[in-house]
Amino acid sequence: MDWILDFYNYRVVAQYLPEFARGLGSTAWISLFALGISLSVGTIVAIMRMSSNPLLWRFAAAYIQAIRSTPLLIQIYLIYFTLPALPLLGRRLDELEGGIIALGLNAGAYMSEIIRAGIESISRGQIEGAMSVGMNYVKRMRYVVLPQAFARVAPPLLGQTAVLIKDSSLVSFIGVFELFGAGLVILNERLMPNEGFLTVAVCYLFIYTVMLWLTVYAQRHFGGSGD
Amino acid sequence: MPFLLDGLWMTVKISLFTIFFGSLLGVVVGMLRTLDYAVISYPLGAFIHALRGAPFLIHLYLVYFMLPLTGISWLQLEAFPAAVIALSLYTSTYVAEIVRSAIQAVPRGQSEAARSTGMTALQSMWFVVLPQAVKLMIPPMGGVYVIIIKGTSIVSVIGITELVRAGEHATQRHPKEMMMIYGLTALLYFAYCYPVLRLARWAETKFGSVRLPS
Repeated sequence: MDWILDFYNYRVVAQYLPEFARGLGSTAWISLFALGISLSVGTIVAIMRMSSNPLLWRFAAAYIQAIRSTPLLIQIYLIYFTLPALPLLGRRLDELEGGIIALGLNAGAYMSEIIRAGIESISRGQIEGAMSVGMNYVKRMRYVVLPQAFARVAPPLLGQTAVLIKDSSLVSFIGVFELFGAGLVILNERLMPNEGFLTVAVCYLFIYTVMLWLTVYAQRHFGGSGD
Repeated sequence: MPFLLDGLWMTVKISLFTIFFGSLLGVVVGMLRTLDYAVISYPLGAFIHALRGAPFLIHLYLVYFMLPLTGISWLQLEAFPAAVIALSLYTSTYVAEIVRSAIQAVPRGQSEAARSTGMTALQSMWFVVLPQAVKLMIPPMGGVYVIIIKGTSIVSVIGITELVRAGEHATQRHPKEMMMIYGLTALLYFAYCYPVLRLARWAETKFGSVRLPS
């Protein structure tokens, strides 16, 4: 049994379990906040992208292209290192806020493309029906179009959320403690990369499996991904 | 600026190597998965999910830090091959899914007709199915190549001076120009990725596209 202890010392892992639990919790919180931001940004950008006002849709298109063609890491650096003190906040963003906002803005661009596909899949009759009962644009969107659109694209949105959770490991670069950071702690304190990163990998794999189940469930529950 | 260009060159080098090896491995895995032998396709499915389930950062650390601990001498990798191997493995999962769904998108009748004229399975794959499937693979591949290019930004952690690391060095020398330097770095990535995305879009309008299973 010595070779197992040599390669993967589970006793050390057990000793560091609280760290991993803390990391897992903080990954969950970071992802949850970033998910909230990304869904709001995604919805707004998707609606802007479909607007007939050239100023609005050009801005939305430029945002999507800019996010999609640059790495998340550089976006995190730009937001965390280079943003000056914000007027409303009166100070600069700390690493947690910067990381969450960067993650949210990044995922928002991808979410917006998915949400747009959802909105565009809603048949014209639905909108005309809503118009004929006297709903204005905001009410139509709020009560008729968006609920159906989100139900249709729930599976790809969940897939993108899984990507978001994986991407959240990058905020450890600016010093936020999360799941990956827990692995780094073992590497730095004990020089044991296997124990640290294999455990972290298993945790991520667990999250990914749960997301995969959720996606399958959503696909069944909402009847396909909208075609 | 020349500093950043050196970094860009490294980024280009890593991404080209990865595009080559990742695609090669992905095509092989994807084609094997279409064979429908449970013995082959279940382990390969597990391989794909295991790689997709964790962030690329983890693969990179595992390849760079864990493999040397196995004590096998040819696994003592330098930073550059470690980066290329980790990124290629990660990429291959995406490519494999694209290849598989493209091959499955070619109607069964095509391969059945090919087999009925006396072609072997390999011949029908090579002469009939693949030429049709390749057109369907091209548009989503563009997306994967952009993922690779963006993924190279992460290999800076194991000490490769690519674009992001070059930018970091530059900001340490000129801390006041931080916004300019990182902005420029982002622009360089944009200049590299945007044409690829554009090309993929063009290919999509030209050849059509396949729906990927999620």
